[in-house]
Amino acid sequence: MSEYIERPRYQCALGGALVTITALDRFIPIVHSAPGCASSAEGAASTGSGYWGSTYCNGRATPSSNTLEKEIIFGGEERLKEQIETTLSIIDGDLFAVITGCMTDIIGDDVRAVVNDFKKAGKPIIVAETGGFKGNSSKGYDFILEAIFTQYTEKGLEKNPRLVNIFGLIPSQDVFWRGNLIELKRLLNELGLQVNTFFTPSDIVEDLKTASKASLNIVFSDIHGIVAAKVFEETHGTPFITVPLPIGPTATKEFLEEVGEKFEICSKKVQELIQKENAWYYSFVQSIGDIYNDIDLQRHAIIVGDSNYSFSLTRFVEEELGWIPAYVAVTDMLDNNEKEKVKSRFDLIPEDLRPKIIFETNTSEIVSRVLADLKNTDSVYGDLPITPAFVLGSTLDRTLAVDVNAGFLSVTFPVTNRVVTDQGYAGYKGGLRLTTDIFSVLLGNR
Amino acid sequence: MSLLTDKNVPAREDRVTACIAYGGSACGFGKKDKPCLSNQERGFSQSGLCQLLPTLGMLLTLPDTAIVIHGAIGCASTGFGGNIGIRLRHLQRGIVNAKDTVWVSTNLTEVEVVHGGEAKLERVIYEVYKNIKPKSIIVLQTCAPSIIGDDLAGVIDKVREKLDIPVAASTCEGFKTKVWATGYDVAFHAIVHGFIEKDKEGRPAKKNGRVEGQRPIVNIINLASVGKPDEDEITRILNAIGIDVLIGPNFASRETIRKMTQADLTVSVCPTHDDYFVDYLYQEYGIPYVLKDMPIGIENTNQWLLDIANKTGLRKEAEKFIEKETARAYKSVEQFAHILNGKKVFLSAGEFRALVTGSLFQELGLQIVGVNAYHHDGFGDEYYDKLVDSQGGKDFVVDIANFQPFELTNMLKKIKPDLFIGHVGDNIWAAKLGIPVVTIFRIFDYYIGYRGFYEVAKKAARILRNPAFNVKLSQNIKLPYKKEWYEENPFKYIKSGSDEESSVIGSDFNFKTLEGVI
Repeated sequence: MSEYIERPRYQCALGGALVTITALDRFIPIVHSAPGCASSAEGAASTGSGYWGSTYCNGRATPSSNTLEKEIIFGGEERLKEQIETTLSIIDGDLFAVITGCMTDIIGDDVRAVVNDFKKAGKPIIVAETGGFKGNSSKGYDFILEAIFTQYTEKGLEKNPRLVNIFGLIPSQDVFWRGNLIELKRLLNELGLQVNTFFTPSDIVEDLKTASKASLNIVFSDIHGIVAAKVFEETHGTPFITVPLPIGPTATKEFLEEVGEKFEICSKKVQELIQKENAWYYSFVQSIGDIYNDIDLQRHAIIVGDSNYSFSLTRFVEEELGWIPAYVAVTDMLDNNEKEKVKSRFDLIPEDLRPKIIFETNTSEIVSRVLADLKNTDSVYGDLPITPAFVLGSTLDRTLAVDVNAGFLSVTFPVTNRVVTDQGYAGYKGGLRLTTDIFSVLLGNR
Repeated sequence: MSLLTDKNVPAREDRVTACIAYGGSACGFGKKDKPCLSNQERGFSQSGLCQLLPTLGMLLTLPDTAIVIHGAIGCASTGFGGNIGIRLRHLQRGIVNAKDTVWVSTNLTEVEVVHGGEAKLERVIYEVYKNIKPKSIIVLQTCAPSIIGDDLAGVIDKVREKLDIPVAASTCEGFKTKVWATGYDVAFHAIVHGFIEKDKEGRPAKKNGRVEGQRPIVNIINLASVGKPDEDEITRILNAIGIDVLIGPNFASRETIRKMTQADLTVSVCPTHDDYFVDYLYQEYGIPYVLKDMPIGIENTNQWLLDIANKTGLRKEAEKFIEKETARAYKSVEQFAHILNGKKVFLSAGEFRALVTGSLFQELGLQIVGVNAYHHDGFGDEYYDKLVDSQGGKDFVVDIANFQPFELTNMLKKIKPDLFIGHVGDNIWAAKLGIPVVTIFRIFDYYIGYRGFYEVAKKAARILRNPAFNVKLSQNIKLPYKKEWYEENPFKYIKSGSDEESSVIGSDFNFKTLEGVI
């Protein structure tokens, strides 16, 4: 394993915090850092998540103190104070968050003291120290959620026994976060639950304030948002469960049953919903039955993605599409415990269909490790054992698809070769969408 | 101070007294006090770029070069954005499965912030050499290691002795300059020191002048943002008057870059982009240069070509060519006159590009009502008055701003131009106000020279025919500024940086003068 990270598929902590803030309209970032930090993070997010682009107050509109050498030498607190004052007077927002970069964290600006003065004056503002060297987007997502939960979310509100919060899908890092959240909310609503998704274009800042009313937090990740969920539990007494992102009918059925049990929802109601959704899913999938069998749309799968998608996509293609998972590359930066956690999810895949799992952050090395492994399996006719193959990964993995002569669909960050708006891959609707997208690629030359 | 002797590349505010904060009249702007302007800053600011981003943008174009970004992981997170353009350039050349450029982050963490990152950087360079097998490695220094005091030069010296490929360093910490164009200088510095000065074979010897009768070879300094159609147009123009061209150093191999020291003339297509490198070739190799105009618009292209012809003894050929091409180009745009004539245009981009593009649109019969330039330096001085004169003395507003869309949005609301000509990243703010947009460069389009003149006109006329997308967008989105902001002077937050008492230059533009202009 190299010490470097090649072609990183994430931003730094500052970037993760920034995109989490700007995913919610009227939640305004104030970046206290050098001039390029916000642009760099936003540039990656707005291009890499299927052209998320400029929404309410992100991209080039992001308020930023643009600290220079002067502030590094003499301290940046005065400049930050000025930037907060002016931001409050120009920008129309409901909540403001000061987030910091490497240089302001290293020189030790007392940003908390600066922000506290504004808080005392009744301004809706929070602060998180998000210096890039503290980790990647995933860390930044935790940092900003933690800041929201401890500094903004109201304490002591009465619990609503039917309210859940959803976490674990980092805006933009999950390229399909909006569509996924919308589908997850729809399904939970169908169970009679109320849901805070926080980061879709229809969400409002107020939900963050009253999030403590929730009786359960559902974290759709074994890695992202876990720390924040723990902080939430400590601060507001709401427990959390972690579940993998459910894609397609089988995984979603399990998810709905688990939540149903948690909330002691009448199992008849849960099963009725599952049957209804399942019937809807197959009313469309049956149409593909002809072409699937007539031209053989089964493939060996190579999946490249973060800890959320690598498992969920593998399960989906194995369980729903009837594919053979060959390799899975998990691209997050993980410690050994986290790797074990991610790996153990794959126990769910039947042993004879379980793929080889590679923990690898570096795109070139994913390619060389897969190719090296394939070399060990000589064929008399010189073909690859995984032919026909299909790669589900990021746009960066297009070259891997070329190397193994595979079909290719970009699903994981960064996605730069297609536009993503309300599409999602979670749940029943998402499963159908993913099926549609994958087979559309395979039929692209017809 | 020169590219050869500078250990670290000086910031543009020091080297050319560049300024990033001015708002006011175009009339006489070029004659205003540079040091005072350079000190102006903003009390409210929005994210700009840092110099690392243009540095990275240029260096990623170098084939078979691995870029090591020494810093926290976020500084390397936008590489794939730059890579899109590079991939498309390869496609333009018909290379479908070109290798992606490789960039890596040393992933500086809290451990290195406390204990220093030099050892990790050194290990990473060896790993990259071994795993990726590049033909050269360039290390980019970012803010964090610079603040903790990592000795980049020391590491590079050590590594150079052990590796058999060029290794270069770029110090491009974001906090070191407010003018991101400094990043171009940094990239040129790395290219020269990596491939010419500290190359294993040493620097190429100076050429002994051109043999009588031989066709002159001219360096064309390209930009990462100039596409193949434009390179083809430049080549066509210069070939036609008897000049051979060598295009680089972007997208160029080590060999091509070294060959650039043997040319007879260096020609810039963007003086503010190239002057540091052009000066090096002149100082060290005695290569004369043309560093004044940008071949955008007819008059600029003609002047640019005449300068080149004068320096190569080909004036007669050039004059003949210019006469023919000018007539042809003007004839080609006649069909668009009924759409374009009299429209008000606002331009936003790097200063020189915005100004010369202004000339182009004036030649098409439009009136400039505003220019937003990312920074101001001496190269633009004469242009402001020239543009005002060209439109019968009609003034326009100038905003020198490293983006700052809050000022741009305010101005556009007041001015309501018919057409916005903008750089990538600016266009959306005009679009959100329902204004038709012509993007100022797109690597698939012609933009330079005579063909560019025609193609830009054709594109502008097409876009003006149906602005429905932006109009509908403007009716259905919300801007993040309070209503009161639009009542304010857009330059309210520009202040004098040196002394609280000293007055701000500019901020006095009377927007009423632009109301009702046709």
